[in-house]
Amino acid sequence: MKTLARHNAKNVDEFRRPPEIVMRLARMGSFHQTRLSFMRTLLRRLKKENWCFERAVWEIDDQGFGRAVYSVYGPERNYSLVAFSHDLPDHMRSDRVIATAWDATFALFDGIPTTADLDRLEDNVPKQEAGRISDSELSLSRANRSVRLWQHVIENLAEGKQPDREQLESVGYLIRTTAVYGSGKFGAADRLTISQRPELSGPFQAEMLSVWLTRAFSVDLIEHIAKARGGDKAVVIEPGLRRRLGVGNSTGLGMAPFLMNHPALLNNWMASREEAIARVRSLQTANQAALDEFRRCFEAAIFNVLQWYSEHPVQIEKLENLNTDFGSISAYLDKENLTDDFPWNRLYLWSENNLSLEGQELLVSLLLEPYGELVDDLSACMDADEHLSFFIDGSMAIKQVKSIIESQCAWATSVDYEQKENRARFWYTSAEKLEPRVGERFDEPGAEYEVPLGVGYYIDQMVEALKSWDDNQIIADFLVVHPEHRHTLRRVQNLIEYPYSEIQDNLISAEMLPIDLLRCKLSFFGATKFDPRSDRWVRICMYQDAPFPHELLAAAS
Amino acid sequence: MSRKITLAEIEFYIRKAARAVALDWGICEEAGKAARWLAAFDLPGPELLLAHLKRIDGKNYSDFIPGCDQGPWQSKADLVCPVIGGAALADRSAQMLEGKVFELSNVAFPLLLAATVGQAARCHRTVFTTSWAGVSLSCHENGIRIEGSRDDLFLDKVDSVTCRQSEDLEPRQLPSTMAYSIDETVWKEIDALAFKTYAPATEESRAGAGAGLTDND
Repeated sequence: MKTLARHNAKNVDEFRRPPEIVMRLARMGSFHQTRLSFMRTLLRRLKKENWCFERAVWEIDDQGFGRAVYSVYGPERNYSLVAFSHDLPDHMRSDRVIATAWDATFALFDGIPTTADLDRLEDNVPKQEAGRISDSELSLSRANRSVRLWQHVIENLAEGKQPDREQLESVGYLIRTTAVYGSGKFGAADRLTISQRPELSGPFQAEMLSVWLTRAFSVDLIEHIAKARGGDKAVVIEPGLRRRLGVGNSTGLGMAPFLMNHPALLNNWMASREEAIARVRSLQTANQAALDEFRRCFEAAIFNVLQWYSEHPVQIEKLENLNTDFGSISAYLDKENLTDDFPWNRLYLWSENNLSLEGQELLVSLLLEPYGELVDDLSACMDADEHLSFFIDGSMAIKQVKSIIESQCAWATSVDYEQKENRARFWYTSAEKLEPRVGERFDEPGAEYEVPLGVGYYIDQMVEALKSWDDNQIIADFLVVHPEHRHTLRRVQNLIEYPYSEIQDNLISAEMLPIDLLRCKLSFFGATKFDPRSDRWVRICMYQDAPFPHELLAAAS
Repeated sequence: MSRKITLAEIEFYIRKAARAVALDWGICEEAGKAARWLAAFDLPGPELLLAHLKRIDGKNYSDFIPGCDQGPWQSKADLVCPVIGGAALADRSAQMLEGKVFELSNVAFPLLLAATVGQAARCHRTVFTTSWAGVSLSCHENGIRIEGSRDDLFLDKVDSVTCRQSEDLEPRQLPSTMAYSIDETVWKEIDALAFKTYAPATEESRAGAGAGLTDND
């Protein structure tokens, strides 16, 4: 992996949490956004580099239908969100990937689109997967209106009133994206096209830019409709209330295998985050400014959790625990010395024994907040050259492969896969929408279509196959006889360079919760308000409380 | 008629298509990478991979795996699969770095073998040159160099192939990241093969995937 830029403190290593602690689904499914989350990285850069913004095109009728373009201008390149707003009958509105029409559809254009570009996109973007975009586009996405909020906000604004704050905050968004595709999907530019551009080299920066501009579009659109309806009487949303609007997102299993399919990337996300936490824990003292900032963020976290609503029993319990944790943290902060003797490390170690996983992971996110200068550079270490992780070292002796498995894969080999519950699930791709799904191996047909995401099981199978091989033979000899283990061997060897690349849980177990995978990935995006709708479907909010483009950036001249 | 396919789509679909003819996942991954790498140089990696997969479909794959104990490598079917052949060479790249020259007999679509072993050259930041008939293809860390008869690049079977590390000449062609033009009919065949790896929808799969509660709110 990339060498992480090390902090000066000599002893950071001893504060770093090892993979066997971090790479567990229950913990990963309790992650919260941090300073290193991709949305925050993007906005920091746009601000620092003095990007400019304009709403370059607004061709929206009084009903709210038409097209618009939002452009940002950087030091070297420009990007534009091309948005289409459609008349969608209520009965066709669905967040499922099997939907075929949406309230709004979008593409992120690489540069400033011409009218011909807009016309081409108008022929394709509204169709989403059934259309085709090109090397000139970096992402393709769509969104649906929040039925709970949309009419309420229009009616109030049209009548010159502000929407009800409580109702607005309880939803948190006007529109909800249901898919954001990038990296070569449906004709979009390949990842390598942008991977050398500083502003987009980090993970998902194009997608995060698209969603940020989509948020601005959602507010402009609703104010436009209210104005058309209310005329002079209509008002815009008061800025403080507007900030409370993010963009919703509704995510199902389609996102789940990403973390398993990109082990080097997962490693770099995790390793960077853990390095950041370790750097803060390694600080011998904390000054008053840092303490004040920590307390401010802690209070904000309590406020945000008050508005974090879920009907799912798993999340309800987590939120209850979190509220208890808040009381414990408050009591700790009131009575402990927070300035000397490695205060953050003491706080973290205390949390391991006194807080739920949800509370522990919120705490580590908060620990990073006062220390941007110490940790923000790590956001540059979160992309990955996946080509390097593809390479197999065939000259490695079989005994060394066995040694890696012994030292780093006990989580895989200690499971009894003869027990049905330990092989109860299988991951496959559905023919219906070409999306990942999880099936019940012993109750459903289709296990012959399994994709290799049950990593632990496959490692265990390889261990069995290796038993009859001489320790001193090279692994290349084994692989040509046993090509069925090539995929797994690649993963195992990766553990040398990428120790945080594997989720150390059984991903085909009856107990596995796909929402844990979704939450981990979404927390790295910067999502908040995780609201599982089932064990494999989660609602979130993005960019809530973040500045809008016209607030963060200067107007383009 | 042709259509534009992104490199990411080529890698994804070829990987699935290879799986559809029962190749192991690790080999499918190599196939996807090789097809993508060739397409980045406007070489017909996807087309040749499809032809190869059709040729071996329904046959016993182990018959196409070369024995690597002694040279030249050959397979039971007298036809070495270039993907596993190239992968086995890549696995022995340390030996090539020490000067060893590998020889293989009766190899299908040697361009695919050259591209597969070429992936290791990229990691080692060296050059691996694969030669057959009247042509050789050198794979660099980020480029290729073709010398000799371009027509021979696309041969569907050759008697002999050699592979070695070679001196670090500059590549003559750098990869593009733009979409690749492919014949519509060929792409439909690749798509149809890939589609065979997808499970038909069942009531259970539909029931499990959605929100469980209404998502229209």
